Amino acid sequence: MTLLTTPPSPTDASPGAPAPAALARGLVKVYGRGSTEVRALDGADVTIPAGRLTAVMGPSGSGKSTLMHAMAGLDHVDEGSIRLGDTEVTALSERQRTLLRRERLGFVFQAFNLVPSLTAEENITLPLRLAGRSADRTWLAELVATLGLGDRLTHRPSELSGGQQQRVAVARALVTRPEIVFADEPTGNLDSRHGHALLAFLQRAARELGQTVVMVTHDPTAASFADRVVFLADGRVAGELTDPTVPTVLARMAGLEQPAPRAEV
Amino acid sequence: MWHLTLRDVVAHRARFALTLLAVVLAVTFVSGSLLLTDTSDHLLDEQFGTAAAGVDLTVRDAAVFGAAMGVEVDRDPLGPDVVDRVRSVEAVDQVMPVAEGQGLLEVDGEAVVPSGASVLTSWAPEPFGAFAVREGRAPAAAGEVVLDVATATAAGVGVGDTVAVLTDLRTDLEVVGLAGFGDADGLPGATIAMVTLDDAQRMLELGDGVSELRVTAADGASVPDVLAAVRQALGDDYDVATAQDTAAASADAAKEQLGSLGLVLTAMSAAAVLVGGLLIANTFAIVTSQRRRELALLRAAGATSGQVTRAVLGEAVLIGVLGGVLGAALGVLAAGGLRSVMAAFGLPLPEGVTVVSASSVVVSVVLGLVVTVVSAVGAARRAARVAPVEALRASVDLAGGRTSPSRARRALRGVPLALGLAGVAAVVAGAPVMVLVPAAVATVVGLALLGPVLMPSLARLVGAPLLRTGVTGHLARESAARAPRRTTSTAMALALGLALIAFMTVVATSLREGMTGTYRETVTADLVVESARAEMLGGLSTDVAHHVGELPEVAAMSRLRYGHWLDGGQTSALSAIDPATLAEVTDLDMVAGSLDALADGGVVVAASVAEERGLEVGDTVTMTFSYTGDQRLPVVGVLDSVDAQALSTGWFVSLDTYAAHFTEDLDASVFVRAADGVPADEVRAAVEGVLADHPTAAVRDQAAAAEARGATVDQVLGLVTVLLVLTVVIALLGITNTLALSVAERTREIGLLRAVGGTRRQIGAMVRSEAVLVAAIAGALGLALGVGLGAATVTALGRSAPLAIALPAGRLAVVLVVAVVAGLVAGLAPSRRAARMDVLQAIATH
Ligand SMILES: Nc1ncnc2c1ncn2[C@@H]1O[C@H](COP(=O)(O)OP(=O)(O)OP(=O)(O)O)[C@@H](O)[C@H]1O
Ligand SMILES: [Mg+2]
Repeated sequence: MTLLTTPPSPTDASPGAPAPAALARGLVKVYGRGSTEVRALDGADVTIPAGRLTAVMGPSGSGKSTLMHAMAGLDHVDEGSIRLGDTEVTALSERQRTLLRRERLGFVFQAFNLVPSLTAEENITLPLRLAGRSADRTWLAELVATLGLGDRLTHRPSELSGGQQQRVAVARALVTRPEIVFADEPTGNLDSRHGHALLAFLQRAARELGQTVVMVTHDPTAASFADRVVFLADGRVAGELTDPTVPTVLARMAGLEQPAPRAEV
Repeated sequence: MWHLTLRDVVAHRARFALTLLAVVLAVTFVSGSLLLTDTSDHLLDEQFGTAAAGVDLTVRDAAVFGAAMGVEVDRDPLGPDVVDRVRSVEAVDQVMPVAEGQGLLEVDGEAVVPSGASVLTSWAPEPFGAFAVREGRAPAAAGEVVLDVATATAAGVGVGDTVAVLTDLRTDLEVVGLAGFGDADGLPGATIAMVTLDDAQRMLELGDGVSELRVTAADGASVPDVLAAVRQALGDDYDVATAQDTAAASADAAKEQLGSLGLVLTAMSAAAVLVGGLLIANTFAIVTSQRRRELALLRAAGATSGQVTRAVLGEAVLIGVLGGVLGAALGVLAAGGLRSVMAAFGLPLPEGVTVVSASSVVVSVVLGLVVTVVSAVGAARRAARVAPVEALRASVDLAGGRTSPSRARRALRGVPLALGLAGVAAVVAGAPVMVLVPAAVATVVGLALLGPVLMPSLARLVGAPLLRTGVTGHLARESAARAPRRTTSTAMALALGLALIAFMTVVATSLREGMTGTYRETVTADLVVESARAEMLGGLSTDVAHHVGELPEVAAMSRLRYGHWLDGGQTSALSAIDPATLAEVTDLDMVAGSLDALADGGVVVAASVAEERGLEVGDTVTMTFSYTGDQRLPVVGVLDSVDAQALSTGWFVSLDTYAAHFTEDLDASVFVRAADGVPADEVRAAVEGVLADHPTAAVRDQAAAAEARGATVDQVLGLVTVLLVLTVVIALLGITNTLALSVAERTREIGLLRAVGGTRRQIGAMVRSEAVLVAAIAGALGLALGVGLGAATVTALGRSAPLAIALPAGRLAVVLVVAVVAGLVAGLAPSRRAARMDVLQAIATH
């Protein structure tokens, strides 16, 4: 597989340590009030390096999805700052955030990634069509070929397997050449063979294309495809791991899943 | 299962409310119509009952029938001897002679023209009359008048003012009092002027005759005994009846006038129920398909399919009863609204509080229940077929039952449509017009059945322009195309309303064109004088013809008048003409015999009548007149149908024959041919000049007179259209309802669109586009259906009457445009809801 196209250039290209694609500082997100108050994010500081596959891990309820939604401009935070390149996401209006998602971000969700009434191809080009732009045919052809979707383009989602659906979702996420692709448990519904293929693709997108990818996952194997893992616990970053392997990830996770003192009421 | 039903209803209040709304609207319309009929019946009974309250008997000249087509016949006046003969009957206490007729009120030189009658009557004190003086006093001397309070108030007249009353004479009168009718200020749509008996007799030119005697029985004498005694004293030449019977007969005549209105309301109610039913069925279908997983879980947990059916039907019962009750209650308001609509179209009903009858309420509630349950049966049966295993599947096909039917079933579904179209074709080819009714029903049913099969292609075809608006239009089109059953029933509901409007428009326009066209061809008069009011028999005094005929500017003048008669018990109408002069102002073609022969007392029939009845010149027909009873008249001629239609009826007698058999003495039209060389406006000015004392006589040139033929048709079309618009409103709420449910169903899809960069505006546009698309589909279907059936009807009717299809393209286009715009409006609420949907929640919804 060849991905010849030039990677999106990092905003600050100082050698060795490329500028981060996204920076989150002191994020606080509180749900509910009083006795039902939940601090989904409680002072999270996260740096997403450009051109890397970053995995976000943590126990259930630790705030992974909340963090991802906040960074992707899908949700507001109560405190803190999120910078995407030069843009301060928390300062954007609803409409600006929508345009940000359309122009500069890509998404892969765990399930229901596709619009059922559109064909695979129409789903892939959906963000472009929403923006009223036409697709870069070469790039599209390359994505389709790489993801092995060539003979499935005219099919509707209901006629695709789960793995194919997720690959269509990945193609859609990449079609605009976004600054960052966010994926929330993209392999959650796939068997390990299809899951691994997808992960391998994301990994290559980062390594060969310089595509920044942030992936939330529960699965240590999935995390081992990443260049770096950020661990979350109780809404805060509880550590990082570079060049993770399944055993190292497992060891870290075991430490995190000890009941945190703060969580006791 | 009941607690489950209840819990479900409570848990899904929003969609429950929408279903309820559909039921409420349909029932409201029906209930409003029923209550309106109740109310007008009750008020009319009360009105005439009040008038007769203190009287025991009435005596009038005998008539073979008292009223026809809601018009009471004129009777000969009673001579003074009759009064004496009645007085001499022992059991009679008092006799009050009353002279009554038409008298147009004029205030400050301006005619006061009510929508109903202009009554001039002699003052009858209590207990003989129901009017009681509220201010001033009763008329006691010549030149004094009492007006009803309502008229006086409206015209700004008070005691001491002078008004004029126009009969064939003009009489200036001083207002000495104002009177109320029982509790009311007056009678609906009428002006009442009450003068002394002498004045009334003089003004109405009755000599010493009177119209009616009102009789009270002596103390101790029973009404039936007095009735018998008076009858015996007077013999068969007089109509002696109890006051109650007379009042009831008058009330019945008044009700008959409103009868056609009742028919219109019933038809509209049926349409509303049909549209409502479609909507209810649709809502239940969507709701049930959204609940498939829940139902499957129930089944998996051990619920039998019967229990599932009962749970769905239980909800229908609950909604039906609640909707019925609410609809019945809202019907009271609707009745008021309908009454204003009627009044706006010149059909005022008596004033008074809306009467709420138990039977109407019960009918409304039961109707709500039955319609809802029947409409929910389909959904309940589908719900029962949900397999328990669906609970275990990862993804449930939310559109539900989208399985395409087999080839054979598809063919079977085409049968009703084929039958319907065959029926329409048969009618066009010559079958009787009534075949259209089942054919129309079959076509509608057929379309509803085939809709789900045809809809994907239809939606994509009609929605093709949406592609230009980009991906949102594309998605809207796909959404409509991919839920064919839902789109079909939503569109069908609207299509039905639009089809009815289109049908009425085509038929009415064709009728109007036919009427004005034949009139234009047949009537060659330069001017036509006719009453500007909508009296059924026309309302011109004979003076009009008299004055006009004397003008030097007028070369020829001919009169036309109408009368009712019974044709073997059926009310029919005839035209009376002057055979000597008619040819001067019309261009008539006789098929057989001659018009001149009418002078000897025969009858000429229209060719269509001759054909229908198998009549030829030389045959004899029996006609029953109110005044002279059964009469055998020879058929002396057959008139071309087109010409007959221009003169309004299919039966023609001479004015002399008319005078022999009718007491009525009013002309409907006076045709005028100008003298050679006199300019049109000069003749007109001359004619108008001599008609100064006849403010209701309208002078029209031939073209305007032809147009006036269409006025009634236009009025009915306007009224029916307004009522049908209510049906359309119900259908539009259906679009809102369906889209709201569809938006709820597509929560995750919308969330996804928003996540990948769809703006709120785009999401809103998507939903609105779908609303417009559904409305456009409905518009196309409705217009096709309505225009097709309308054209077939006109073709069929055109075989027996001169009638050609007229397609009012402009009006039909307006219907289509209004439908589409209304569809847009209907889509506003759901589109806002979709646009405001929280992205994260939408993504999180499973
Ligand atoms: N809309 C909400 N309202 C209230 N609380 C919420 C809401 N969304 C998330 N939370 C709470 O915030 C915390 C973090 O949730 P989040 O979904 O980010 O966790 P997560 O790490 O993604 O968990 P999982 O691995 O189960 O997906 C949880 O305690 C959750 O209950
Ligand atoms: Mg999560």
